[in-house]
Amino acid sequence: MTDSRTRTVLCLVTHALLLRPFIKFFSGVRVVGGEHIRGLDQYIIIANHNSHLDTLVLFFLLPLRDIARSHPVADEPYFSKSRLAFRLISFLFQPIWITRGRPETDRDPLEKVKQVLASRHNLIIFPEGTRGRPGEMESFKSGIGRLVAQCPDVPIVPVYLSGPERALPKGSKLLLPFWNSIVIGHPQTYHGPHRDITRRLESILVELSLSNAARRKRSARKRAAAVVAFLGIDGSGKSTVSRIVAQGLSRASNVAFVSDGLEFYEQGASRDAQPLLAEKLREIIGRNAKRAKSLRAYKVPKLAELLLRDYLIHEVERWYNPEIIITDGLPIFNMAAWAALYKKEAIDEETCTQAISYLTEDAGRMDHSERLLRDLPELKFIRHLSLTRLRLPKAVVMLDVAPGTACARISSRGEQRQVHETEEKLSELREAYLMVCEVVQRHWGIPVQIIDGSQTLQQVASKSLQFAESLSLQKGEAGESSN
Amino acid sequence: MMLRPCDVVLIAITIWLTLANIARAFIRRRILHASYLGVTWAIFISFTIADLFSFAVGNWILALLSFVALREYFSLIEVRIQDRLAILGAYLSIPFMFYFVAIDWYGMFIVSIPVYSFLAIPLLITLGGKQREGTIHSIGVIEFGLFLLFCLGHLGYLMRFSSWMAAALVIQVVVCDVSSYLLRDRLRSLLAETIARFLVPLPLTISVALLLSPWTGIPTRHSLIHGAMIPLLVIMGHRTADYVQVDLLGGEGALFPDRGRVLDDLKSFLFATPVVFHYIRYFLT
Repeated sequence: MTDSRTRTVLCLVTHALLLRPFIKFFSGVRVVGGEHIRGLDQYIIIANHNSHLDTLVLFFLLPLRDIARSHPVADEPYFSKSRLAFRLISFLFQPIWITRGRPETDRDPLEKVKQVLASRHNLIIFPEGTRGRPGEMESFKSGIGRLVAQCPDVPIVPVYLSGPERALPKGSKLLLPFWNSIVIGHPQTYHGPHRDITRRLESILVELSLSNAARRKRSARKRAAAVVAFLGIDGSGKSTVSRIVAQGLSRASNVAFVSDGLEFYEQGASRDAQPLLAEKLREIIGRNAKRAKSLRAYKVPKLAELLLRDYLIHEVERWYNPEIIITDGLPIFNMAAWAALYKKEAIDEETCTQAISYLTEDAGRMDHSERLLRDLPELKFIRHLSLTRLRLPKAVVMLDVAPGTACARISSRGEQRQVHETEEKLSELREAYLMVCEVVQRHWGIPVQIIDGSQTLQQVASKSLQFAESLSLQKGEAGESSN
Repeated sequence: MMLRPCDVVLIAITIWLTLANIARAFIRRRILHASYLGVTWAIFISFTIADLFSFAVGNWILALLSFVALREYFSLIEVRIQDRLAILGAYLSIPFMFYFVAIDWYGMFIVSIPVYSFLAIPLLITLGGKQREGTIHSIGVIEFGLFLLFCLGHLGYLMRFSSWMAAALVIQVVVCDVSSYLLRDRLRSLLAETIARFLVPLPLTISVALLLSPWTGIPTRHSLIHGAMIPLLVIMGHRTADYVQVDLLGGEGALFPDRGRVLDDLKSFLFATPVVFHYIRYFLT
């Protein structure tokens, strides 16, 4: 008993004499709405999570008497990597250790948390579940809604933190002094189904983040161009169709068209532009890849070409600032489909999702990637070269053609056949593309239009154009940037 | 220790500012809230300590003030993750520069920021990461922050010549600021307002310079000239800092400690401190 009391006193002294002055004088804190928390007996604080400093800053807010009886909820496996850190965190914050993403067991994962609430202690929860990208909020996990639905009498205090994500952002070990501004919202209790509660809480935090008291961000930033990707196997007519769509869309906005060449369209007509070095390079490598004799020899130049093509999209956006970029194929999707071709047994929908999120750094969660990396060592290689952050499109058009038709079309072109252009390989590739479409539609919510490519070119083109126009891709209307 | 009259006045000003700051903490009136009591108080504390006890301590108080100003500035700008190393470098420039002020090495002080820090920042940005886009923007943004710091370094060096030279400069700048505060929104055209902001404080700054010349040790002729210079320099500083502030803050809303308040307080010194310092150094030492 005395032991635990000594610990509490020590903890309080550390907070009061060491951590609080540090936060105050090293970083600086401005609190708006501090009165919302002072009079409460018991509460659950929910806050956005961008940095390891968040917890420390939230403890700065608490009245001293509440420090020993407030507990952040934290992921045990993450913090137990370092023994010292684990013990230090346990001493300073007395967190409730849970295991994130644990497979279903018979115990209720909320049980520990509810026990703490039953003993009239306070909770600190980061409902995003993980630290997101600096300054961006991710959608809330459903756990918070469930908890609130089960303990409806404890008031929820929403807190929006800005500053910690700059002082100690994810991925950096360098702690720098930056002001923290903390906005505390009104405490409130919630009833109802847990999904609604989660959504309500999320919208409240977003509102706080937009409030005048939260830090103002500079607004005049270039909008990202909307990328529309055309997928399809060789011979599906995607280059022709996508060019027609690019021309069609250019009546209303500036369009860049990235295919085997780089073209620009303005007001329905093609326009000259200064060539890019990356484009020349890609052309040479692409030509090289097309001459390959075997699939194995095709792989490396093709991969290089795809990576360069992604770089090219960024370059086009940077130098020409078009409103819409139409691409014939999209590096990230081509890669996924080709991976399916090379490693048929390793690729299913799940690994495909993981691989895409690995390469686009979506959500930045790499928890389950060990198997993925064993199956696809190329991913590691790409990551070592810092070539991740590939681009996801705003919309996808898939031209679906039977492999037989495609083969017939290819031979009618009279060019030398590329190594994968056989009926068997093409049908595999087609399935892979369809799977990729399925995955991005389900997992990323990107609109996908699958068009039957066996119709005449005119029909396909007009259908695709209709779809593209229905998306309202112009900059003024396009909500958030696609990347 | 015998206190000279000039020391007594300096102490009196400092005590008065201290009381005003305490009063502000209790009253929280808007006019006091927006006024730059805090910064002026810190500056006068450092003058008094430098004058009576130790120059080094006063100097490091100014260094702390620079830290506060720089921290606020960096909190307002957009930085990329890879600029963090450069920002660390910028913070480390504070002791780097103030050390040369403390040991009275003028040659090194005057090149510390414009040569060494200005070269180190771009290098640190390149060491911080691989993204090339935005490099020039980052260099410019971070180095402007360093210039704010350099400005306060000049105040420190002026304090080394004599505490009263620096104090007189601050008093003259305050006179200009108060008169421009009283004049704002009273005149219709910008030109008229600018002229008024020069002409109204002009007799005051000159008389302050002449009045204090026995303590500052600046001869009458030079007091006249630099007293006349100050309103003009303050106007230039205001104009420049206003543009920067609007870009940083969007130009509306109240100023808070992390929202441009310290920068707002220092904006009048942006031009006045370096130019007056070099004037005095060139003609009088």
